Amino acid sequence: MYCINCGVKLADTEKKCPLCGVTACHPYIKQEEEVPLFPGQRYPTPQLPPRTAQIIITTLFLLPIFITLLCDLQINGAVVWSGYVVGALGMAYAIFVLPYWFRRPHSVAFTALSFMAIGLYVFYINQASGGDWFLTFALPVVGYVGTVVTAVAALLHRLRRGRLYIFGGAFLALGAFMPLMEYLIVATFCRPRFVGWSLYPMTALLLLGAMLIFLALNQPARERMERKFFL
Amino acid sequence: MSPIQNTPGGLRWMPLDNAAKIYPASRSRKWSNVFRLSVSLTEPVDTAVLRSALDVTVPRFPSIAARLRRGLFWYYLQQLEHSPELREESSYPLTPMSKEEVRRCALRVIVYQNRVSLEIFHSITDGNGALIFLKTLLAEYLQQKYGLAIPAEHGVLDRREEPREEELEDSFPKYAGPVQASRKGTNAFRMSGTPEPDGFLNVTCLELPVAEVLSKAHEYGISLTAFLCAAMMMAIQNLQAEQVPEVRRRRPVKVLLPVNLRPMFPSGTLRNFVLYTTPEIDPRLGAYSFPEICRVVQHKMGMEVNPKFMSTLIAANVSSEQIPVVKVMPLFVKNAVMKAVFRAVGERKSCMTLSNLGAVKLPRAMEPYVERFDFILGIQATAPYNCGVISWGDTLYINIIRNIREPELEYHLHCVLRDMGLTATVRSNKGRRS
Ligand SMILES: [Zn+2]
Repeated sequence: MYCINCGVKLADTEKKCPLCGVTACHPYIKQEEEVPLFPGQRYPTPQLPPRTAQIIITTLFLLPIFITLLCDLQINGAVVWSGYVVGALGMAYAIFVLPYWFRRPHSVAFTALSFMAIGLYVFYINQASGGDWFLTFALPVVGYVGTVVTAVAALLHRLRRGRLYIFGGAFLALGAFMPLMEYLIVATFCRPRFVGWSLYPMTALLLLGAMLIFLALNQPARERMERKFFL
Repeated sequence: MSPIQNTPGGLRWMPLDNAAKIYPASRSRKWSNVFRLSVSLTEPVDTAVLRSALDVTVPRFPSIAARLRRGLFWYYLQQLEHSPELREESSYPLTPMSKEEVRRCALRVIVYQNRVSLEIFHSITDGNGALIFLKTLLAEYLQQKYGLAIPAEHGVLDRREEPREEELEDSFPKYAGPVQASRKGTNAFRMSGTPEPDGFLNVTCLELPVAEVLSKAHEYGISLTAFLCAAMMMAIQNLQAEQVPEVRRRRPVKVLLPVNLRPMFPSGTLRNFVLYTTPEIDPRLGAYSFPEICRVVQHKMGMEVNPKFMSTLIAANVSSEQIPVVKVMPLFVKNAVMKAVFRAVGERKSCMTLSNLGAVKLPRAMEPYVERFDFILGIQATAPYNCGVISWGDTLYINIIRNIREPELEYHLHCVLRDMGLTATVRSNKGRRS
């Protein structure tokens, strides 16, 4: 029997052509007679990945947490300074270690989660130190940057092309946010030593973003850049 | 000191040979260097007889029926006390061998219908050693099952004999030359595709009449191995031309050809005794025609497949393990270093391996009972393809394995062969898969 598409000679066990995937068909040949090369539907049970590395790293994180908590409670009788250490370790754990517990960590979900962890830690610092800057400064900044980075991650995950647009857009969005950030700092901390510094990073970010978008739009310019900078 | 020691209990142990040392270090959870050699009989396999044949054969091969143990400084092989259990066939061959499995037994014996397969961790032996084990096991099986009288010839060993010291030796250090070969080389084209999500390995077997392929090879004035290598390189070149339209971005096409060193150096070893040569073309210089590739392969082999050049390769491999500082490094340090080196350079230097075990010869009495042989290599650690070739009787069996969905390379190889008038029959392990 031959494949009707690519013309290769097929063994009688083949239901589909192994080379081009077209269904094998011959009016006179019955396909059940020969024994296939390998039994069908008998898949080896996949071996679960050993989690030793994750367990060791988790213990490495838990150990200092317990020690600092213990020391702090011994010395001060309450959680005074150890909260910062525990919070920082917890944040680092959520960002760098947590994804490795998953077989295929979802990049978008974990990006969002990372920013939530940062937000939580900052909130704790604010509460523990009796500050009043969380709502007016930290939350908007972390929230905005987190949203932009998560959006970039989501777009990169979804779209295969258009990276220049995505990164260009992200730079523009961050650049446009700079004056607002300066305003928030001023409004929260009331220490305007040098007004208008945000214009410099804003200009740089906007230019960078605009350049990326320009390159995305302009094919010849992109090629010229590629010629100059290829590795 | 003799390299093979006997423990009081009578079980032999031996250090790994020079080529075997990289395999335990480069092994990971998802990948281990395992290959399969199988023989299909004309009748279904009688598992009870096979078990008893295995019990007779296993003590004869203390270096092959072995397990891999850790010492403080090096791994070593330890002879098995009992013969391994027979296993059932799965939908695909060569699942990775876990650390625990290799420590228990580095050899699998798998039975499916008419077929007996050996899956062997590469630290134990190479294809040639495995073939001798398989032939001897088969001889014992046929003798017990049908009462045949089979002489010990054509690679069948006498099962009642004691293992000879020369079979267990590491032949590499004996034949190291005075000059070390350079290991420089360009990185090769990486084939890629959609990985099978569950680790499924696709096996595609191309069956060709040996006589036709051989006469075609002789038309180009080259050996069968060189011809197949050239055809494979042509297929990879065509594949790359399709996947990488921009000529400047193409990478060299290189196929790793294992070279059996036993015919070159007097050695009766059943351990690893193989090195490599890597014919190479650079498609950035333009598309090569088939006769051009044939010449490249032939001259590369002429230059390198000889005892003089191979001795320089052996010298390069042996020298690093004989540095005193390296010797006393604890095993886990050595492993970490070897793993890093393997990741960095290991398989980047070739697109795939094409291993030809050649024509299998058996004692006349066994021939009527044997239908076919198959030789399947595991995939490479980071590249999706590999290819094992063996021939029995009138048929050449080319087994191509891949861990990706798309059968692009197989298709291109089929086209290359078809255009020369060689029609292959294909078989695959997806026959019953929805
Ligand atoms: Zn087809």
